[in-house]
Amino acid sequence: MILSVVRFFERVNELLGKSVAVLALFMALLTLLIVVLRYAFDIGSIALQESVLYMHGALIMLGLAYALQTGSHVRVDIVYTRLQPNIKRLINLCGHAFFLIPFAVLLIVYSWDYVLSSWRVLESSPEVGGIPGIYLLKSLLPLSAILLILQSLCEIARLLIEPRQAID
Amino acid sequence: MFAVVFLMILTGYAVAPTLAGVALIFALVGALTGVFNLADLGFMPIRIFGVMSNTVLIALPLFILMGVTLERTNIANKLLRALSIIMARTPGGLAIAVVLVGALMAASTGIVGATVVTLGLLALPVMLKQNYQPSFATGTIAATGTLGQIIPPSIALVLLGDVLSNAYQQAQLSLGIFNPKTVSVEDLFVGSLLPGLALVALYATYIFARSRIDTAAAPPAKRSDEELDLGELLTSLAPPILLIFAVLGSILAGYATPTEAAGVGACGALLMAALQRALSIETLKEICRSTLTTTAMVFFILIGASVFSLVFRGYGGDELVSGWFAHIEHAPLLAVGIVMLVIFLLGFVLDFVEITYIVIPIVGPALLAMGIDPIWLGVLIAINLQTSFLTPPFGFALFYLRGVTPPTVETVAIYKGVAPFIVLQLLLIGILVMFPALATWLPSL
Repeated sequence: MILSVVRFFERVNELLGKSVAVLALFMALLTLLIVVLRYAFDIGSIALQESVLYMHGALIMLGLAYALQTGSHVRVDIVYTRLQPNIKRLINLCGHAFFLIPFAVLLIVYSWDYVLSSWRVLESSPEVGGIPGIYLLKSLLPLSAILLILQSLCEIARLLIEPRQAID
Repeated sequence: MFAVVFLMILTGYAVAPTLAGVALIFALVGALTGVFNLADLGFMPIRIFGVMSNTVLIALPLFILMGVTLERTNIANKLLRALSIIMARTPGGLAIAVVLVGALMAASTGIVGATVVTLGLLALPVMLKQNYQPSFATGTIAATGTLGQIIPPSIALVLLGDVLSNAYQQAQLSLGIFNPKTVSVEDLFVGSLLPGLALVALYATYIFARSRIDTAAAPPAKRSDEELDLGELLTSLAPPILLIFAVLGSILAGYATPTEAAGVGACGALLMAALQRALSIETLKEICRSTLTTTAMVFFILIGASVFSLVFRGYGGDELVSGWFAHIEHAPLLAVGIVMLVIFLLGFVLDFVEITYIVIPIVGPALLAMGIDPIWLGVLIAINLQTSFLTPPFGFALFYLRGVTPPTVETVAIYKGVAPFIVLQLLLIGILVMFPALATWLPSL
């Protein structure tokens, strides 16, 4: 039962991660387009430049949870590699419970007003001709935190339910 | 606070959330005991939004995309093979080829881990087969891999430039200069070019001399068992070299910002891969995924470190540091020396991203307020960070290399092998201190 919930949320993060990963390609192509337009045709578009920024924001913030799932966040493994599996599991449990989740929760708490006030005025780009959607960009903060909480809850559940496989 | 964070990082839990988590626990405890004002945490979303909407940092995913593409589609491999065949017949020739290719790869990917692992997988077996001393071979590879730190365009320099420009503005505001001069990532790229090339020259000279004096260390190949025709040679050598020169040249000449050059470079790398028919949909997906996880990893550390420094400031930590520096205000060189030593020592346990984002925002403004040239300081720090990749037992380049080295090569052999290269890097720091123009002359043109 719990495991199927875990699998569901992991699947969500995985799909989301793999989708935003493609944004990297679009960022490169758009940048190429911007450069060509500017040097060959002398056309500069702030909206185009900002769209690269939006993709960049989505790439990082929505990719954090996926990177957590794939174990891509660096750790200093001098001591870690020599520890017993049980202790490793404990370290990861405590890390998720005392560092990662509290950080994400506090991020939601403190970004709430920040994002809400942006939504209230439907905050637009500070540049003329920019994309009128800063409020969307800012919403990535709490959204990213929610995804991180979900993913670390999944990790915790796995560490508790299937203690054998959970540690490489 | 620093001590607790180090202890927690040493347990082996992921670095980024540890930085943020420890800082927030300190903030909450501080709030309960009345020494920390929780309202300061209100800046947290602004800081993190600043990290994600920083236009300079958009260059990162694009550079990573370019590097990953070159690596995954074997373009980097072919480059190495071609050069090693040309140079294998002279003593030490293969090692010099590794340094040259490594320098090119370093320039194109800017990722130390990628360069060390690729060179380790490709060149090490060839070198060992040619009876190179294992310590000499591994030392050359590890040291060459770290060139990615200092040769532009480099991710380390992008990050460093971002942090230094903030520090420089703060320093000038604190001196009452309200129309501050700026220092940009381009300045750092240009400034580190000559020192980077100087280091390549130092490496090559050392290898040349060593293989003449100590012929057992790097014997020449008896007869080249592989012959490559000229056409194949050109197709594997020319495209990546052209790409690197195009990217680097457009930045250095001031035609393009690093972000633009990175975007165009990434497209160029993809195009090259497509032309060589090395780009399937599956590879493309893999490249994207690998780009995403690497980018997310780096940015999570930036976010964690920005939360850490926010709380550190909330505790008045920055005043404490500038207070220390006030004592040695009249000896800027001494201050630089102390900071360099601290960075060198931190390099044993932390990655360059963490050091850049934890240490520089705190000490940078105080140092620059003493009138130190920001470009010179940036290049010095970059070389120093590179050194700490190699210092045993906790150098990251050593970890990466150990991961791809056959077990017959002892870890101690790797340590012995990198030692002379660390001396060369320290030598370069010494040269830079004596001749700052090496870093500052080119940007001043």
